[in-house]
Amino acid sequence: MSITGVRAVVGVECMKLAAQIKTQLVLGLCIVGPFLFAAAIHMQSSLPTDTLFGRAVKESGFAVSLVVLGFAALWVVPVLASVVGGDLFASEDRHNTWKMLLTRSRSRADVFVGKLIVALGFSFVAIALLAVSSIAAGIFIIGPGSLIDLSGIVRPPDEAWRRVTLAWMSILPAAFTFTALAVVLSVVSRSSIVGIGLPVVAGLTMQLVAMVDGPDLIRRLLITSGFEAWHGLLAAPLFYQPLLRGTIVCAAYFVICIAIAYDRLRRRDVAG
Amino acid sequence: MSMVACGSTSITANRIEHAIAPTFANLVRVQMTLLELPPLAAADFAVQASCRRLPAGDTAGSGEWTCTITWKDLNRRIVRDTYELFVTSDGCYSATASGEAIGGPTLKNEGGRDVRNLLYAFEGCFDTT
Repeated sequence: MSITGVRAVVGVECMKLAAQIKTQLVLGLCIVGPFLFAAAIHMQSSLPTDTLFGRAVKESGFAVSLVVLGFAALWVVPVLASVVGGDLFASEDRHNTWKMLLTRSRSRADVFVGKLIVALGFSFVAIALLAVSSIAAGIFIIGPGSLIDLSGIVRPPDEAWRRVTLAWMSILPAAFTFTALAVVLSVVSRSSIVGIGLPVVAGLTMQLVAMVDGPDLIRRLLITSGFEAWHGLLAAPLFYQPLLRGTIVCAAYFVICIAIAYDRLRRRDVAG
Repeated sequence: MSMVACGSTSITANRIEHAIAPTFANLVRVQMTLLELPPLAAADFAVQASCRRLPAGDTAGSGEWTCTITWKDLNRRIVRDTYELFVTSDGCYSATASGEAIGGPTLKNEGGRDVRNLLYAFEGCFDTT
C-alpha cells in the first residue's frame, strides 16, 4: 500500500461522490433540515416534550441542537453513515468495474483504504454539517439562551456551546462503526441495497432492543449504545463511563467489520 | 454469579433517588431566580426523594415509577410533592408532577411575567454503570 496510491483513490472517489445527486441531496438535507425544524418550533405552540430538552427548545437554541441530536441518533445517523459506505464497493460490482480497477497500478490495499477513508469522511462531513447546522439554526431562530442541563444546572451559552459540540462528537465512533458495517455488507453481498439497507435495519432493531427492559449487558454490547453516551456530558457530575464503554464496543465492531471486508476483497477473484 | 449480574437491570430506586433529588434541588434554585425570589443554595432546600416502581412488586427496571420528593420551601416549611416518572433503559427519566401543589406549566414572577414552571415537568439522566 502506498500513500500516493491511497490519495489517488480518495481523489477519484471524492470526484465521483461530488457529482452524485444522492450525495448532494443528503448533505443538503443535513444543512436545511435543522433550520426547518427550528422554524417549525418557533412558529408552533406545542413542544416535543417526549424528547430530552424538548421542553426547552423555545428558550435555548442549544436545546434545539440536542433535540435534533436525540432524533438523529435514533433514526438518521445510521442512514447517513451507510448511504456512501454501503455503495462505494458494491457500485463497482454493479458497473462491473472491479477488473479494470484492480488490474491498474493501484493495489487492492490502496483501493480498499482509499474507499474506506472516503466512506468514513462522508459520514464525518454529514454529521458535522448536521451538528453545525442544528446549532446555527437554534442560535439564529431561537436564540443563544442559557441551557438547563440534565441535572438542573444552568449552563451559560459559551459552556452550552462546548458541551453540545462534545455531545455531537461523541456519536462519531458509533457512526463510523455503522459505516464499517455498511462497507463489510457491501463487500460481502456485492449489493448496494444490502450495504445501505441492512445497517439501517440493524440500527433500528438495536434501538428497539435497547428500549426493552432487558439485561444491561446486551444493551451495552449494541453499537447504538454509543448514541446515548452524550447524556453524561450534559449532567453534573459528568459521567464518562457510557462514552468510554460505547467507544470500546464500537472499536471492536469496527475492527472486525474492516478485517472481514478487507479479507474478502483481497481474496476476490476478478480475473474470471 | 456473573450471569445474574449480567442479567440484572441497573435502573434501581437508589439510583433514581440519588439522581432526582439533586436535580430537583438545582431546578428549585433556578426557579427561584426566574420568579425573582431571594436566591438560596440548592443544599438549603434539603431535598430527599423516595421512589418505587409501578406496578408495585417490581423493585427495579425501566418503565413507570413514582417518587415522593420532600423539601424545605423558602419559609423553611417541609413540602411533599409526588412525581410520576417514566424511566428508560438508558438511565434517563421524565418526571411530571401529580396534583396541583407544584402549580401549572407556567407561573407568574414577581414582575407579573409568565415563566416556565421548571418543577411541573422535568427530565434528567443518570449513570447506569
